[in-house]
Amino acid sequence: MLENIDMLLVKEIISSVFILAGVAFMLIASIGLLRFPDFYIRMSAITKGATLGVGLILCGMGIYFNQPSMLLKVIAIISFTFITAPVAAHVIGRTAVQNRIPFWHKTNTTELQDYLKHTLLEEKVSPDEAADNNHHTPE
Amino acid sequence: MFHYTLMIAIAALSACLVMTAIRFAIGPTLPDRVTSFDLFVANVIGIIAIYAELTDNANYIDVAIILSLFGFLGSISFAYYLMKTSR
Amino acid sequence: MKTFLLHIIIAFVAAYQFFLHLQVLPYNATTASGVFFTVFFLLWPTSLLYHPSYFRKLPKAINLFFFFVKEVLLANLKIAYDIITPNYIMRPAFLALPLTLKDDVGITLLACMISLTPGSLSVDLREDKGVLYVHTLYVKNNELEQMKKFIKHGFERRIIELIT
Repeated sequence: MLENIDMLLVKEIISSVFILAGVAFMLIASIGLLRFPDFYIRMSAITKGATLGVGLILCGMGIYFNQPSMLLKVIAIISFTFITAPVAAHVIGRTAVQNRIPFWHKTNTTELQDYLKHTLLEEKVSPDEAADNNHHTPE
Repeated sequence: MFHYTLMIAIAALSACLVMTAIRFAIGPTLPDRVTSFDLFVANVIGIIAIYAELTDNANYIDVAIILSLFGFLGSISFAYYLMKTSR
Repeated sequence: MKTFLLHIIIAFVAAYQFFLHLQVLPYNATTASGVFFTVFFLLWPTSLLYHPSYFRKLPKAINLFFFFVKEVLLANLKIAYDIITPNYIMRPAFLALPLTLKDDVGITLLACMISLTPGSLSVDLREDKGVLYVHTLYVKNNELEQMKKFIKHGFERRIIELIT
């Protein structure tokens, strides 16, 4: 008798604690998306907060429904998000560096010169090759 | 009581959507917009999860699975397009 | 890795058959995951007979997982503090992190973990797989070497122990 009532209440309380924590992380992440001064800071700080928030909300949902099929679907979504989020972040960040998106003025960019030297060498080589190809194809 | 908690959570996530849309509008460069698109998809997944809990209908979780798949595909294809056009 | 997947599949099928044929426990998520993990950890000591290195590696993998979760939560709270208070306390920097890992799977795992920790983002890998370029926040007093030592000691050492 007492156990029945307790179980439902405990389930709802745990679930709402998880959901409120996840919503708080996502709210903080989107405030930060508006406030931060630089693309790289936003990128490295924000999207991961959103990933953790989604994970916490889905955990709360799995605890509330308490069915094994639901738990499997929730685990599938969480693992998929945690695998794909760093891949997308890596691709977007690399594109931004290659497009020379400017850094914040307080950023320490002493070791950026090394990287730019490498990519500049690559770019110097690749247009020559493209030009060679262009010269070769008409002949 | 539990009902009100979920309503508050949905309201907060809607505020998140509005803020993300503002960054999407004013973002100075194109990678900023791709990032805010990513956050947009995450917000919508959260809203769908909470709505499934609010209506006690377990079928909505399939929508969240498909949406997480397509969000990854969208941001990757935008970034690939950017990388191609920059050269 | 193969042994790990095989054990997961065996534990899953065993839990499914357990609930299909025996009505001992009520069928819900907590009992199902309880049965799954019981079978999984009962299979772990038997690997001593046919795959001894797996017996050694599973505690290290669990250690790496919990270290990673702890780092993610701590860094999230740090960034939340920085967002809410009006002044920025962060000092971002662009690092070139020399790698001692040479394995492809290990480098991928390291880059994903660095990207998933808030406050750091792996940007690019040099073509000879020797240097990983990382953008980090919170480098105190321009001490780049200390930050590099923290990443190498925290993540890379555990991944090297796990892979070799």
